[in-house]
Amino acid sequence: MKGRTLSKVLCYIILAVILLFLLFPIYWMLATSFKTNMEAYMYPPTFFPNETTVDAYISLFTVNNQFFVYYINNFIVSGITAIICTLFAVFTGYALARFHFKWTVIMSGILLSTQMFPIVSRMISLYSLMSKVHLINTMPGLILAISAAQLPFCAMLMSSFFASVPKELEEAAYVDGAGRGTILFKIITPLVKPGMLAVGIYAFLMTWDDYLHAATLIQTDGLRTLSIGIALRYLGELS
Amino acid sequence: MRKLNSKNRGDRIYSFCLLIPAFLLALFFILIPIVDSVIKSFQDFKVKNIISGKPGVWNNFANYIKLFASNALGNAVVNTFVFVVFVIVFQFVLGMALALVLNSNIKGARFFRSIMMTPWVVPTVISALIWMWLFQPQYGLVKYLVSLVTFGKVTEFAMLNQPDSALTGVGIAALWKQIPLMTLLLLAGLQNVPDDIQEAAMIDGASKTRRFFSITMPYMASVIKIAVSMSIIENFKQFPLFWTMTGGGPDGATTNLAILSYREAFVSMNLGSGAAVTTIWMLLMIITVGIYNKCFRTYDMT
Amino acid sequence: MKKILVLLLSLLTAMSLFAGGSAEKAESEQVTIKVANYAVLEQGYIPFWEGVKEGFEAKYPNYKIEWVTAPYGEIVNQVINMAGGGDRVDVIFSESSWVPGFEDAGLAAPVDEVLSADFIKDIYPSVLADFEINGKAYGVPLYVTPFVLYYNKDLFAQAGLDPNTPPTTYDEMLKYAEKLSQLKDKNGNKVYAFGQTTASVAISGTALTAMVFNFGGEVLDANGNLSCDNEGFRQAFETLALLDEMGYNPQNAKLKDLRNLFALGQLAMYYDQSWGFNGVSSINPDAKNFTASAAPLKGGNGSGESLMSAHCFVLVDNGEAHNKAVDAFVQYVISADTLSDYLANVTPAYPATYSMEGMEGVANNPILKGAANSVANVKHQVTVPALNDLNLELTTLAQAVTVSNKSVDQAIAEFKKAAALKLQ
Repeated sequence: MKGRTLSKVLCYIILAVILLFLLFPIYWMLATSFKTNMEAYMYPPTFFPNETTVDAYISLFTVNNQFFVYYINNFIVSGITAIICTLFAVFTGYALARFHFKWTVIMSGILLSTQMFPIVSRMISLYSLMSKVHLINTMPGLILAISAAQLPFCAMLMSSFFASVPKELEEAAYVDGAGRGTILFKIITPLVKPGMLAVGIYAFLMTWDDYLHAATLIQTDGLRTLSIGIALRYLGELS
Repeated sequence: MRKLNSKNRGDRIYSFCLLIPAFLLALFFILIPIVDSVIKSFQDFKVKNIISGKPGVWNNFANYIKLFASNALGNAVVNTFVFVVFVIVFQFVLGMALALVLNSNIKGARFFRSIMMTPWVVPTVISALIWMWLFQPQYGLVKYLVSLVTFGKVTEFAMLNQPDSALTGVGIAALWKQIPLMTLLLLAGLQNVPDDIQEAAMIDGASKTRRFFSITMPYMASVIKIAVSMSIIENFKQFPLFWTMTGGGPDGATTNLAILSYREAFVSMNLGSGAAVTTIWMLLMIITVGIYNKCFRTYDMT
Repeated sequence: MKKILVLLLSLLTAMSLFAGGSAEKAESEQVTIKVANYAVLEQGYIPFWEGVKEGFEAKYPNYKIEWVTAPYGEIVNQVINMAGGGDRVDVIFSESSWVPGFEDAGLAAPVDEVLSADFIKDIYPSVLADFEINGKAYGVPLYVTPFVLYYNKDLFAQAGLDPNTPPTTYDEMLKYAEKLSQLKDKNGNKVYAFGQTTASVAISGTALTAMVFNFGGEVLDANGNLSCDNEGFRQAFETLALLDEMGYNPQNAKLKDLRNLFALGQLAMYYDQSWGFNGVSSINPDAKNFTASAAPLKGGNGSGESLMSAHCFVLVDNGEAHNKAVDAFVQYVISADTLSDYLANVTPAYPATYSMEGMEGVANNPILKGAANSVANVKHQVTVPALNDLNLELTTLAQAVTVSNKSVDQAIAEFKKAAALKLQ
């Protein structure tokens, strides 16, 4: 019994330490945002703002309202990418999990290896390629490029979900005369909804985080996404 | 019999069609650019070639020779591997600890699970900024905490400014951002471990550690494999954190392969040389992941 | 199956339509010039550049400006990628150190091919010479600055030093620094005596080059070859090592960090471009009360020469119609009407043309006054395409002798090897 309580206490300590590590920086950012400029640069730092000010937020809404454009763009790009990735991942994942022909094997090889290629090395060629088809500096272009980068992992993930659906189910439906489309969309897909959700969330967040694609492929401020917007405003040499 | 044949043929066409969209995307946005970049790594290809549209010229491995002649490449390879190993070891240990705690029936596990995910949704560039702010050498919080903990002995603590500690500093920021996802994946794996086997082992008197290593871990093997390989790939490729936090400095201490290739290609404007770095980098990555998979396969069998 | 294919096809068509629609615009007799400008979005500079666009378009109804933007660190890359894709901007708002790269890339056009001769004559020849590559200038300066010494008059007074006699040599500075480094700010924090940027960004390399010039040394010889076996070069880095050893210089600091420290009264003296004061006053609006400037220090056998930096326009030749518009744009911006208020209040700097000489806001600017003569005491550096790289290698050298505690000899030897490879 004594060992039980001890391990319980240990559990809570581990939990507390790790959560502190994960959450404190966020608190710190929030606290800083409410400080005046001079207090923010004070040492030793203050744990609670002495003098609370919402100036930073006021200027966010008034002077720097460009941020909302970045936010909205980021949502649009991430949302559409997530939808495209999920949709294509369903096709690809299903094909990879169900059929074992030569090209499905080749395809899974391709998908696996594409993940290992650094983005930097693709950027130059990607740029000239995309400008040839007039996709540069457009949101569809950005979305397609990021989708291509996210799709491999999404498809692999999706195929692991399809693999867990028993094949008999499908065969029974086929014998009953259901078409392939019906089988995939009406029978199998509903069974992997959690998987689709996972893939969608993954694609959304990875896109949300994208930096290099947006930095290279977008030049108009109105189309920028959040990471770049932040870099632009806070990492500038001038400001 | 005929029906089966036609089904088989149908399957072929069907699977082919299903793969087309993903294949086209991968072809145009990944494969062609990659092949293009490997070709360029053997050429004298500078920015002026892009602008004037002149093709690059074969230059007898000059890009590679130059790279191997400088110390930069070896340094970048070492930094990359040290970073990957550091991040993965800590990420796995801490992630596993957190997952085990959250999986035991402690109060509020559900709540903790959702709030711990916050760092994951913070974009990398912003997490870099947050940590730069914490590590700031003059008025940063970490400096203050270090001087408190050491009772004022260490008053000048600047994580990102010292060649010895800068890589750790970036690693901490990476851990902060990545632990939540690792925990989430491991937690999903833990839930796959059947309770009855655990209970049976408990009744047999197996110790906690014993149960963890001989029941929990094997059941989680596939999840661990995926989670760790994802993490290897992600940290091997890590660019924005380094670029934002240190730019590769001080004194080259945080120049990894991503930074080196970016510098060669876009700062030196020597795309051929940058492509040579990424080609070496790709090879290293493929070898690493290959070895990793091989090790894991043997582990699976035991 | 058919349904899926139809769906896919229509999706693709819709996307390409969307893309085509946004990319192509109806051409009229209007000329739209694309200006790549990282500053358009940086807080504090937005009103100025928006004013420029508005004013220019009002004055020339046939011309329009389209900003092409990217973060400071990404803009060069961006412009080059665009050109590679066949989309060439017309004007780039640039650092002077980026110019050789643009020339080497074949993007920059000689300014005399685009601008009218009268206007070029108005620019100080010595300033324009800094932009010359093989005898032709590839950039038009908006305004210029050497690296000047900013110092905090209040801290000088507290240390018992005369706030009106700043140091003139490195030896004097070290004596001052001894006293200044004893000070604490009002929260009991250390006061750094002297700031020189050494972080891994190209601009820090420019600042280090200026410091080498202070000592009468050089980094490149007249033919653009690496030349670091001179006394001045060595002395500059020995001084950096000494400053670091004494704890006078904040380690591995970016200019931005130095500006913050200076604004907070934790840094007594530091080198910056004159427009760095904008950063200082954005942190602490009261900074103008204690800030003064002085000429760069003399070291060794040097005469305290510095390096001129400028914000400039790089021009791209996109045909007659565009060139005319660019000419109008450049002349509109580089004029007393447009710049006087900006130079006086937003970006303290010195004008680059005869017609702006003695401009009210600059001549009487209390912040700039102390260093006014140093504009004439600058050394010309040959431009090489790998300038950015060289600058980064210089910062690595500075970090080697400071945070890495390597000996100056070893560090310089490593620098020579690395820089030689870059300059090949």
